[in-house]
Amino acid sequence: MPWNDIIVDSLKKWDTSLVAYVPDISIDRVTTLIDEDPYFHLVSSSREEEAIGVAVGAYATGRNSAVFMQSSGFGNSINAIASLCIPARTPIPIFLNLRGGPGEFNIAQVPMGRATRPILDTLGLVHFTLEDEHNMEKIVDGALKLCHANRQPVAICMTQLLHGGKLA
Amino acid sequence: MLRFEATQMLLRHIGDLPIVSNLGPTTDELWHAGHRDRNFYTYGNMGLCSSIALGMALSTEEKVVSLDGDGSLLMNMGSIASIGREQPGNLVVVVWDNEQWAQTGHQSSHTAFGTDLEQVARSCSIPKTATVNNLEDLEAVFCDALEQEGPWFIVAKIEETEYMPVAPIEPEMTLYRFRQSFGASGV
Repeated sequence: MPWNDIIVDSLKKWDTSLVAYVPDISIDRVTTLIDEDPYFHLVSSSREEEAIGVAVGAYATGRNSAVFMQSSGFGNSINAIASLCIPARTPIPIFLNLRGGPGEFNIAQVPMGRATRPILDTLGLVHFTLEDEHNMEKIVDGALKLCHANRQPVAICMTQLLHGGKLA
Repeated sequence: MLRFEATQMLLRHIGDLPIVSNLGPTTDELWHAGHRDRNFYTYGNMGLCSSIALGMALSTEEKVVSLDGDGSLLMNMGSIASIGREQPGNLVVVVWDNEQWAQTGHQSSHTAFGTDLEQVARSCSIPKTATVNNLEDLEAVFCDALEQEGPWFIVAKIEETEYMPVAPIEPEMTLYRFRQSFGASGV
C-alpha cells in the first residue's frame, strides 16, 4: 500500500477525524487524500502553532486529531507543544516532512531540519523516522497506539527518501 | 469595565457551555468568578486561546466561548483569518482589550495606537462583530451571541486593576475534567 494510503488508514483506525495543517508540497499527496475524504475535517492553519491549538481544542471535546507540517514549521510550534500539549498531556500525532536529509537542495532548510529530532528528544517526545514503506503500517499504527497510551504527542518524520520530496 | 465583573456577568448567562480562557489574569479571574468543569484554563501557549476554541467549535454542536486578549491575539492574528475561513457558527470570541501588555509591565499594545481588532475580524469575513465599552452593552451583545448564529467576535474594552491570586489550575486535570464533561473517556 502506498505511504499516503497507509497514513490515512491509520488515522481512521484511531478515529482521528480532525486534521489541522499548514500545506507542504512533499506531503500534499496525503493531505489531499484527507481533504477529499468526507470522514475528515481538514483545517487549514495560517501557522503551525495555530494547528497545534486547533488540534488540542478538538481533542478536548473528545475528538481525536492530528497535525501535518514541515520541519521548519515544527520550529514555529515548539512553544505550543511545550507549554500546552505536554503539560496537559494531549496525544496529538505530529506528521512532519523532515527536511535537511539526503537530497536537500535548500541551505535554509538544513539547520531546522537537522535540529528537529534533537529538539524532540530534549522535550522527551517519542519520534519515528520513515525512509521507506517497509513495515510502515506497523510503525504508524504503533506510533498512534503509543501516542494515546502515553497521552503525549508523537512525531512521525517523513523523509524525502519516503515521499520523493521537493527536489529543486 | 473591569474584566472580573464582566467575567462574572458572562458566567451568569453561559449555563454549561464550554469556555477557553487566555493565559494569566483572564484564567485567574475566570477561576475566581466560578470554577467549573467546562472552563478550559490556559497558562501558557500565548496566542492560542481562540485557536483552541476553534478546534472545539468544529468538534461540538454547542456554543464555544473564547476569552482572549489583545496582546495575545496580536501574536496570532492569523487565527482570526482561520475563524473567518471555517465560519463556525457556534464560536463566540470575546477579546478583553486593555490596550496593553499588562502583566509584563503595562507596555502599550498596538490597539492603543489604532489597531482595531473588530475591523480585522470584519475583514476576515467574520459576520457578527462588536466593540463595547461598558457592562450593559457587553451583556446585550453576549446574550445575542449565545442565541444567534455566528461566528461572533466581540471586543470588550476594559480597564486594568489589581490582580487576583494565581488560580490553582493543573493543565492535565483541566483537560481531564473538560473531556469528561463531553463524555470522552478519561484517557
